[in-house]
Amino acid sequence: MSPPPASDAALIARVVVSDDRHAFSELVRRHQSAVRATLRKLTSGNLALADDLAQETFLLAYRNLKSFRQEARFSTWLYRIAYNAFLADARRIKEVQLPEDTDADDLAAAESSPAGGVARSAALAIDLERAMSVLSDAERAAIVQCYHNDLTHEEAAIVLGCPVGTVKTHVLRAKEKLRTRLGAWAPTR
Amino acid sequence: MQNTQPQHTEPDDWLEQALRAEGAASRSDYIADDGFSASVMARLPVALTAPAWRRPAVALLWLGAGIAALLAVPGLFDDTFRNAVAMIVGRRFGVADIAVLLGLLSAATWASLIYAARAE
Repeated sequence: MSPPPASDAALIARVVVSDDRHAFSELVRRHQSAVRATLRKLTSGNLALADDLAQETFLLAYRNLKSFRQEARFSTWLYRIAYNAFLADARRIKEVQLPEDTDADDLAAAESSPAGGVARSAALAIDLERAMSVLSDAERAAIVQCYHNDLTHEEAAIVLGCPVGTVKTHVLRAKEKLRTRLGAWAPTR
Repeated sequence: MQNTQPQHTEPDDWLEQALRAEGAASRSDYIADDGFSASVMARLPVALTAPAWRRPAVALLWLGAGIAALLAVPGLFDDTFRNAVAMIVGRRFGVADIAVLLGLLSAATWASLIYAARAE
């Protein structure tokens, strides 16, 4: 029987105490998917940029691992570094990608297709993805942390470095914008 | 601190459901590593760890310096060492005993040094 995998805390201790590169490699393998997925959402699907920022995130994590106090989950700490890397890059580039129009045609096509409900969900997911780009960076980040990373408002506040109330406000505003943008998807009563 | 999950005000909020479904789908989509971890590891700064034999070597140097300092003032060395040993074992040592003890100590230090160098 193989031994149980080492916890994040044990791996971190090995990196901090003896600069164990294998332990850090395991941490990277364990969290790369979540960090890259988060950055893909934050960069509105720019895969190359997201992966560059993800690499930057892990390099910064390695350099600053001694300052990780284990008060939050390691993944939360990584999300925070990733978000800061994204913000730094966004400030540098200030690139605004205009969203494509949300099509009521997509909805009509989906509903008229034979697959019905599944097609509708898939089309909504695509439109939701597109609509995310109308949000401000802060609003998108709040949605990504609360829904995609399934963090509590408190954890999201740690990641985003702002008060819990601000996170709630960003989420509410984001949802209002999305609701307006995706109005065609609202069920008719 | 009380945790609060993101909440929606309307139970049938279609947007809330869509966001939750989208979030769950994205969490379940594992992004294959495809060399990502390896490229991160390749970019880590070069390890600046000291060689394993450095500690015993430094210890040996300090020991040597200490002995040299004590030998430079023989009276102090003799009095301090004899009295210290006498206090611990309850009998006084002669110069020959002290020499044997120092010899053993040096041998042990050298053995540690050689072992550490070989282990590395």
